[in-house]
Order: sequence, then structure tokens, then C-alpha cells
Amino acid sequence: MTKPVLPDGLVAVVKRECATCVMTEPVLATIAASTTLSVFTQDDAAFPESVPHSHDSDLSISWHHDIETVPTLIRVENGVEVDRTVGWSRVAWRAITGIGDLGEELPVMRPGCGSLSVDPDLVDKLRARFTGSVLTARHIDMASAEDEFESMFNRGWTDGLPVIPPTAERVLRMLAGTTRAPDEIVAVAPPDLVPLSVEKIAINAVMAGCLPEYMPWVIAALEAVCNDRFNMHGVLATTMPVGPVIVCNGPGTKRIGMNSGINVFGQGNRANMTIGRAVQLAIRNVGGGRPGEVDRATHGNPGKLSFCFAEDEDGSPFGSLASERGIPPGTDALTVFAGEGPRCAVDQLARTPDELTNSFAACLRSVMHPKSALAFDVLLVVSPDHSRIYAEAGWARGRILRELHARLEIEANLILRGVDGMAEGLPDRFRDRTVPKFRPDGILLAHAGGGAGLFSSIIAGWANGDMGSQPVTVAVKS
Amino acid sequence: MGNVTTPRLTILDPTSESRPARRALLSRPSSVDGMTIGLLDIRKPRGDVFLDRIEELLTERGARVLRYAKPTFTKPAPADLRHEIASQCNLVIEALAD
Amino acid sequence: MHDIADLELRGVPSMFVASSEFMTAAISQSEGIGFPDVARVFVEHPIQDRTDAEMVAIAEAAFPGILAAICASN
Repeated sequence: MTKPVLPDGLVAVVKRECATCVMTEPVLATIAASTTLSVFTQDDAAFPESVPHSHDSDLSISWHHDIETVPTLIRVENGVEVDRTVGWSRVAWRAITGIGDLGEELPVMRPGCGSLSVDPDLVDKLRARFTGSVLTARHIDMASAEDEFESMFNRGWTDGLPVIPPTAERVLRMLAGTTRAPDEIVAVAPPDLVPLSVEKIAINAVMAGCLPEYMPWVIAALEAVCNDRFNMHGVLATTMPVGPVIVCNGPGTKRIGMNSGINVFGQGNRANMTIGRAVQLAIRNVGGGRPGEVDRATHGNPGKLSFCFAEDEDGSPFGSLASERGIPPGTDALTVFAGEGPRCAVDQLARTPDELTNSFAACLRSVMHPKSALAFDVLLVVSPDHSRIYAEAGWARGRILRELHARLEIEANLILRGVDGMAEGLPDRFRDRTVPKFRPDGILLAHAGGGAGLFSSIIAGWANGDMGSQPVTVAVKS
Repeated sequence: MGNVTTPRLTILDPTSESRPARRALLSRPSSVDGMTIGLLDIRKPRGDVFLDRIEELLTERGARVLRYAKPTFTKPAPADLRHEIASQCNLVIEALAD
Repeated sequence: MHDIADLELRGVPSMFVASSEFMTAAISQSEGIGFPDVARVFVEHPIQDRTDAEMVAIAEAAFPGILAAICASN
């Protein structure tokens, strides 16, 4: 819909349901008597009775000219707005109109009321009415007796849980959560290699149950996974149980209400759950990666529904994961890691950092298999009760990681194939050598969890290296 | 009022749109030879005679026929019956609504 | 028809037979549930007072349409 042009001269936008507008009616009559004045009424077509006016019945004028308050008085010259004032202010109205004694009988100032075009009850409909044509996705009409929730299940659009019907109104509301244009391509979704537009992301974000303010995070996560480095195609197609694990950093995580504390990996927090869910839905619906087809995971894991959380940065004695990976402090960012479900690492007795690190190393030895080495990365999420031990000893990230890696140098002879009656293990060519359990950058450290609980969490990764997946960190831009 | 009505609800397609929006029929086999075909009688009068003859004609063409009956024609078939039919048959014919 | 729609969702190609009396309702109902192409064959009305011989004849007349609805057309 094209933006309507305002007539030259003075333009006033009013509504009867506004005491200030009613108060200014005689002033408007005065202005109309001496110069060109166009009055647009938002609600009652008869108001104001004493001044010629038009009815902005579909609120097109008000919407397109950003009327937030009534009355608004605008001066237009050659089709261009040159000045405006909102509410009643004798000084401002005299200045715009050039009528020196205007409104002498009125109070000096009186605030206006909310414009109907920004009324929360109307805004979604108006957005759909005036910007709906930006949506290019196929529209699908529900039949008269068709249950839309069943229809979405039957069409294969869900992750097994019901999804919110993505109406145009809801999608437009979601698109308002990002400054990026709906037709902007964010990434290319595997395995079908389909361009992933902001609009398609918004449709899936609606289905997931996101709020518009989550959109920048969903977009960033999709940018982070849809590339050869993270290798989303490999992650989708593997028989191993992994899916994207999204670790969020920055002040924005608090603004959108993410959880970094109690039950941080569990259910209950809308931002955590729906951001992770939107990423999965967008990948699978647009890229076409469905279980039984490209997705052939033997067991998968519940995190493939959604696995997204915020780090507890305030309580962290070792900084944030994002800052470790090159993001300036105070910048919103996220890291994606191809991970399985979390495994609990219990230590309720350690008092020193050495004791705690010995425990962690012992637990980390068995990641994927006690006799595997170098093949997998790991994300260790340390809880506040455990991180306190490091904080009190002054161990920061570098020290913790060095100490962990040092304890995870393994005599290869102990883990060769066949040793201990297990066929699994390293090939014989590693005999008499020492091998690290993890590659030098293979342990990622994060800080999250409830304040009570002497447990941390180990999230093992998929195969690393060129054929596998590398963690990716991206900044979140609105 | 004409035939055209405003849709009750319109939603946007979240997919790559490579599949048709209109619900498609499942693909069919090239013949009934070797197929197990379920005949579901909705239990209205004379339907059994109709299905008996259909059974004969299908069997002549190499199909194996299984017979089922709904408890009542006034409601959809119970879930157990639908599951049983789906797990035992390649094709289904339901008759005879009158 | 709901049974047929459900069986198709379960992966079993299905169709129904109804008398011509049912035709308008069936078309409208199939559109209403979002499955306008549901496979069906209509036979002549009435049914309930037919003799056995008449029912056999109706079945034989309907059979080519039934085959077409459960087999792929060539």
C-alpha cells in the first residue's frame, strides 16, 4: 500500500475520544478561517462539527505519518512535512500557524491522548493491513472444519509438539523484533540448501512461541549453524546423538529474560526454550532435515527439541565463553556447539581446586568412551557452587583449562584397541605414546546453574576437525 | 451471498515450499495383484452384499481381502480398529454410505 | 470420510464408496476437512431397498471406478 501524501498547508489529526482534541476545536476553526487546514479524524466521522474534516477511517494517514498522539499539528510544504507538534501547546501552535493570538482563551498547555494508530489492540491489524504485502511466503487457508493445530501436525511442520499458527499478523509482529528486512537472506539451510530468509525465520519463530525481541538471537544462531565450520548438514545427518547447543552471552540475555540459573537446561523459561526451538524448526522446515529422512540419529537426545541457555556471567570467576572466543565484553553474542545431552559430574567433597579438577578430569576421561581420545570436543558447564572453589583459589579460565588438559594426557597403551577386553580404543600405531583426551582447544568452559548444588555438567560434542563440527561464535545484532 | 467465503484462518508456509500446499493423495500401486486389501463395512443395509461382490472381483485379480466392520456408522471408526486395519492392509475401501 | 482421511495419514491409500445422495455433502465435507481430493466413488441411489441381484450389479458397475481410485492410473 503506498504512503498517502499529506496536503500542503496545515494538517491536524484528532479524535473525538480525546478531551484535548475537543478543547482545540475552536482553535482549529480559527485556523481554518485564515489558512489552509486539513483535519483528519480518527474515530467519529462527525467530529469536529464546526470544522471541515475528513475521516481517516482505515487509519492509513495516521499510520503512514507516524501519528502517536492526538492532536498532532503538522505543517506541510510541497508535499513534505517541515514541522509538527503534539498535544496542545499555545506557544508551539502559534509558532507553527503563525497566528499570534491563537488559543488565548485556552490553557497554556495540555497533553494529548494516544493515537488510535498506536493502540495496542489495533496495532497488529494495522501492521497487517499496511505492511502485509512485504510477506512473500505462500498463504495456506485453513478449511472450514479443519483444525489448524492438527493441520500443522499433519503437514509435518512440527517437532512433535503443537506449534502456534503463523498468521500474517503474528508474523508481522515477529518481524518488528528485528531491523532486518523480511526478504534478507540470513543463511542457506541444509540439507536442501534453501535460502533462509528473515521472513521464513519469523514464521518458524512464531510457531516456536518466541516473542519478537528474541528474533535477533534466533537469526544469529541460524547464521552460526548454517556454515561449513559448524557443519549443520553433518550434525543433521549423523547417527550420533548431537544437536546445536546454544550458549548465550551479553546484557541482552537479561533484557529478554533468559535463564542462567536454577534448572538452566530444563523446562520452564520461555526465552531459553523457544529460541532453541525456533532454530530447530527453521532448519528442519526450510532445509528439509527430518528424522527418518536425512536425520538418522540412533537415539538423538531431548536437546534436539531445544537446547539454549544463558551463561551466568556475573557470578563467573573465569569470564564469559563469548569473551574467551573474541567478543568484546558487554556485546550480545552466542556460541553454538554440536552437543549431546548433559551428563552430571558430581563432587560434593572437594575443597581445593586441585581436588575439584581431579574429579572433573576423571569424569571427562569417559566422554563418549573411556578409550577414545582426540576425536571429540566437550563443553564443561561449571556450577556456582563449584566455581566458588576456583574463585577462592584465584584460578581463572587459563589456569583451569591448563590444569584440566594436563590431567587428561593419557598413556596410549592403556587405551589401545583390545585392552581391558574392549575392542574399542586407539589403533596400535599410538603404542608407547601419550595422547591427550581432547585437542588443545577442545574443552569449552561455561558458567551456569542454580546457586546450590555441588554438581557441574559435561556436554560432549560431535566429531571435531574438518569432517565434523567446530563451535562458532557470532555477535547478536538487532 | 455468493459461493466465495473468507477463509476461517490463513497461515504462512514455514517450509521451502517445494511440496504442494493442497493435501495430496498417497501414491497408489500399479495393480491390486499381490496386495492385501481391507474392506471396511460401515454397516448400513445392503453394504455387505456390495462388499461381497467387490471381494470376489478383487480376489480374481490376485488380491488378498480382509473384511472389517465399524461398530456404528454414526461415528468415525475407533482408533484400535484404524490401527489394526493400517497394520494389516496395503489398501482400504470403505463402503457403503447412503 | 474421516476414517479414510485418517488411514491416508497412516500411510494406507484408501477410498470410500457412497451413494449419489451423498455427493454434495461429501464434496463439501472433504473441502471442509482440507482434503478435497479424497478418493471416492459414487453409486446410484437408492441402496437400502435393493435386491441382492441389484446390489451385485451396482458393485460390478462401480468396480472400474474403485480400481482407478486405489491403483495408479497409467
